[in-house]
Amino acid sequence: VKEQVTEDMLNEVVNIYLTETETITHLDMPGISVSVDADDAEAIKERNNRYAELCKNRMGNDKYMDRSMQAFIGASKSKQVQCDSIVMVDTACEATTWDMYDSFYGAEQDKTELTAEPEKSGYSESIVNSSRGPEKTTSLLSTTSIGNTTLEDDAADPRLILQSEKFQKVLLVMERCILANIFQPKLAAYRQLPIVEGKQWLSPHRSIKHNVVTPETMEHREEDVERSLSPTLESLWVFSCELTKGRTISCMAWNKKNPDLLAVGYGEFDFRDQTPGLVCCWSLKNPTWPERVYHCNTGVTSLDFSAKHPYRLAVGMTDGTIAIYYVYSQDKTCAVSSSKCSKKHYSSTWQVKWAEQDMGLSGDDKEEALMSISADGRISKWFLHDDLDCVELMRLKRMQEEKDEMETEVKDKKKKGEILRSLNAGFCFDFHPVDSSIYLAGSIDGTIYKCSSSNSQQFLETYSQHFGPVTRIKWCPFNPNVFLSCSLDWTIKLWIQDQLTPLLCLTSTQKQVHDIMWSPKWATVFGAINEGQMKIWNLDYSTLDPVIVHMAAPGVKMTSLLFALQTDCVLVGDNSGQVTVYQIKNFTVGEGTGTVPVV
Amino acid sequence: MAEVEETLKRIQSQKGVQGIIIVNSEGIPIKTTMDNSSTVQYVGLIHQLVMKARSTLRDLDPQNDLTFLRIRSKKNEIMIAPDKDYFLIVIQNPSD
Repeated sequence: VKEQVTEDMLNEVVNIYLTETETITHLDMPGISVSVDADDAEAIKERNNRYAELCKNRMGNDKYMDRSMQAFIGASKSKQVQCDSIVMVDTACEATTWDMYDSFYGAEQDKTELTAEPEKSGYSESIVNSSRGPEKTTSLLSTTSIGNTTLEDDAADPRLILQSEKFQKVLLVMERCILANIFQPKLAAYRQLPIVEGKQWLSPHRSIKHNVVTPETMEHREEDVERSLSPTLESLWVFSCELTKGRTISCMAWNKKNPDLLAVGYGEFDFRDQTPGLVCCWSLKNPTWPERVYHCNTGVTSLDFSAKHPYRLAVGMTDGTIAIYYVYSQDKTCAVSSSKCSKKHYSSTWQVKWAEQDMGLSGDDKEEALMSISADGRISKWFLHDDLDCVELMRLKRMQEEKDEMETEVKDKKKKGEILRSLNAGFCFDFHPVDSSIYLAGSIDGTIYKCSSSNSQQFLETYSQHFGPVTRIKWCPFNPNVFLSCSLDWTIKLWIQDQLTPLLCLTSTQKQVHDIMWSPKWATVFGAINEGQMKIWNLDYSTLDPVIVHMAAPGVKMTSLLFALQTDCVLVGDNSGQVTVYQIKNFTVGEGTGTVPVV
Repeated sequence: MAEVEETLKRIQSQKGVQGIIIVNSEGIPIKTTMDNSSTVQYVGLIHQLVMKARSTLRDLDPQNDLTFLRIRSKKNEIMIAPDKDYFLIVIQNPSD
């Protein structure tokens, strides 16, 4: 039976092997010469001779005759064959450094070293990859194969893109870039960089506008001075947004670690106004929208950033609660609150401050604790473990000598010899810059108490020269014996630590003074806020008049003051929710550094 | 999502911002505040530019990558934030 010859069999590759056997050899070349000593040499010689003779006789011999013949010539036929055209294709691939890097490190996550050999394999692989890539790759700029070309790159859902965290970060950066363009001259002035006059690319036709001081509500004081320009304040920009419109600013604080981060607390001073408070953390990079916004239940009265843990922001509120926010997270709620603590303040917390306190006996243990003073007359020290817990540092007892009439919230003031004495509402305090266990506390009846945190029963000193509630006390950062106090009785008093009467009493207008602050740069300079004016005093220059007086816009009351730490700027908060940044210009201070003029 | 919308609105209302375009990786605009023809024009041209910029950077140092690109011209400034999945393009003219 004949085997069916299938297609496969025909296509099969058949191997044929040629081998030698005993009788058949591959190579067979008979020799053409014989050795003289061989056996049949004679016979061969005989034959050779006979052949030679034959050839000789052939020439004229009749035996041999020439004759020609014709052979068949085959008919020829021409045939043509055409093969398939060979299509030539040009392919090119750009193997860039990063392409090799990506394919090498990316998909496989190989950690082999970059020797010559692996590089080559990476190279060839990248060619293969790019030809298999989902996108068009024959273009020379086949740079679409960024990253992993083996990834299925179907475009992500637009909503997913918009919601991703990375996108939010990108938006943040973009917003800051845009704002940097807009605010660039102001920020440069803030950083005390020289401003380029004239040739600004931004506004070739209106180049001067950005740089020239536009006096909006400024009022120059005529100084009889040899300087051509008198010291003034130039408004740089305003921190304000929709959320803060119409709110009163009660306090401001710089972050201790990042001097460009500002926390502002919004809360009404009036007790009858129970609008919920707000805390905003502003960054210099974005004056139009705060980085963090925290809504609080009640008005915010004071703020402080911790020095040891710069992300902790302590907030004191009008209902006495103290809350601590961790500003690093985007979380809108407070991290810890004192509302559950049994010893919490039951009246407004007027000031909070983080201070370092000696914990152990060695004096090396300095732990940072939060101190607060409140209208219920107590100064407490708070510890943050899992929750806020406090220890009472001091109670502001009323002094024996009878003072003038108090507010209606205080009871039993007329009777002497009372065992139950109500406490003096505390308004403000400040810790000594050098010895942090000593602090001064100001109260609502004008008394300033000097206390020590190691003694919670007695005051070290009392200074009772103010006639109205003391709104702010500040130690001088340059001279540790001097402090300033301001009060609602229109005066600012400068004291030396151990003297019971103030050294200087400064009044310039008959308005309540809400806030004062020493300048961090110049020893004899401080700023003060009356209701409608902001004043900068230089004690070295004059103790009768302030050097700069700045009027607020009509209808707006200034409420809070803060000096910028590394630059000549001052921030003023007012009751319309705006924090204006002013730059102090043309302000030079004489040689006196820290020496208080003796009166 | 609301935060993103708010931030976009704020950016749009900043001084001098002429347009915002968000494009996905295929070159299709997801969100834009400009008219269609300008958007398409910007997208096409900027895509190529970003690719070239990215390629340049990575050729110099493969571990580096492009995070932000700003092009200042006489009339305005184009800011581009490229990413794997999308591009964010903002055109601003601060002297407005």
